[in-house]
Amino acid sequence: MKNQQKKRFVLVIAVFAAFAIAPAANAMHIMEGYLPIRFCIAWGVICVPFLIMGFFSIRNKLQENPKNITILAMSGAFIFVISSLKIPSVTGSCSHMTGTGLGAILFGPGAVSILGVIVLIFQAILLAHGGLTSLGANTFSMAVAGPFLSYGIYKLCRKCRVNRRVSVFLAAAFGDLFTYCVTSIQLAVAYPSENGGILASAGKFLTVFAPTQLPLAVVEGLLTMIIMITLENYARSELKNVGYLEN
Amino acid sequence: MKLQNFRRPRRHRQFHGTGSMDYYAAQSELRNWNGSYKVIAACMVLLLCLILNQLEISVTVIVSMGIVNIWGNQVSFRDYAGFLKIPMAFLLLGSGVIAFGISKYPLGDFRISLHWRYLCISDEGIRQALELFFKSMGAVSTMYFLALSTPAGELAGILRKAHVPKVVVELMHMIYRFIFILTKVQGNMKAAAVSRLGYVDFKTSCRSFGQTGGNLFLLSLRKANTYYDAMVSRGYEGELVFWEEEKPVKLWQVGILAMYAAGLVFLYFWVK
Repeated sequence: MKNQQKKRFVLVIAVFAAFAIAPAANAMHIMEGYLPIRFCIAWGVICVPFLIMGFFSIRNKLQENPKNITILAMSGAFIFVISSLKIPSVTGSCSHMTGTGLGAILFGPGAVSILGVIVLIFQAILLAHGGLTSLGANTFSMAVAGPFLSYGIYKLCRKCRVNRRVSVFLAAAFGDLFTYCVTSIQLAVAYPSENGGILASAGKFLTVFAPTQLPLAVVEGLLTMIIMITLENYARSELKNVGYLEN
Repeated sequence: MKLQNFRRPRRHRQFHGTGSMDYYAAQSELRNWNGSYKVIAACMVLLLCLILNQLEISVTVIVSMGIVNIWGNQVSFRDYAGFLKIPMAFLLLGSGVIAFGISKYPLGDFRISLHWRYLCISDEGIRQALELFFKSMGAVSTMYFLALSTPAGELAGILRKAHVPKVVVELMHMIYRFIFILTKVQGNMKAAAVSRLGYVDFKTSCRSFGQTGGNLFLLSLRKANTYYDAMVSRGYEGELVFWEEEKPVKLWQVGILAMYAAGLVFLYFWVK
């Protein structure tokens, strides 16, 4: 090993050691400037059909009852606040919920896609989580893929007569896990590794984020379940308005 | 008393959370600049930083945007350093992953044997990771320029001008306002729970957090109905109209932007 190489090696190790002490804050939003331009555009385009669907779903809701506008806005604000809060964690690192599972179960995946984009813009502008160029990729993982899977799991569990609370837990936990997997794949597609390509790279990203994301998914599932229990106890009439208790 | 000697009282305490970036946006010296101009300027610098993709350009953008944010947007140095720390975790992990490779065979410039696989690092990988790290930090600084100079409510107005559907813009306006209401309510609820030992250990914290979340949702829905009634009683008929200040773009502002962009392009070819 040459002297210069040794120095660089030590530098890299030092940076990582410093990171080991620093808390991992909201690691699953792809940061501003991280993706090359063509991937930013591609992910944006993929989101468009889902957003159009969400737009019509919201417009139908408003035509049904114009009063829904404040309810929708409050729901958006609620998703934002829930996802901006530090959640209790075992490891001591500071992490956040995605809130996608909760939103999808309460309002359906269509409405959540539009609310999700708005929330993501505000998260970028007000909290510096995520960014403007990575908005498309983040929208796909957090406002489209996660909520759709959560909603699917929830419906499937209900059809199979699984206990409502267990279904909520599974939907939220898997929604969060899926968001994390999709983000890792998005990163891997943009930066395939030199030997092994996209798959190897995806493996690396999944491993690196796993220590924070796996416990987080379980915690998110638990918290969503507790929130839903509280709501079922105290807010039956409101839940009916939102359309949750119909099924 | 000379009026021009009067200075706005500054907060010395370092503060975090939803309100802090919005607070800076509202008190920025650049808040009177045209909103669309700021959005276009930020997007242009962002695109240049991403497309030119060169270490020197990224560092220039980081430094210049830092100066704009600290002098122009009046952000204290300490707070700005705090803002820059937010994306660190993701960027260090993300670029680290690109620098390292795992392989069956001893590849790269150095490697550590993990007995069944090699953890390889190549000069090329490190260079790529460093470039990516700085490029991303440059882009983040540019985003801060926009976020710390333009309140989010104004951004919604700019989106309306860009023909984003009316419903979406209205939702944005309302969500922006509700975010602060709910954050405040949640803060009060959490203070109440903490003072009653609600966050004493992990299990209790989970329960308190979940119950606070449930209550927050319930409260937000009740508030939503009240707000709708308040809006209707003030003449809401399906369209929210917000008052917007007219802020004309000045020629010298366009000049600065053009010079800055040209400077970046010039630097690109000069270094290359």
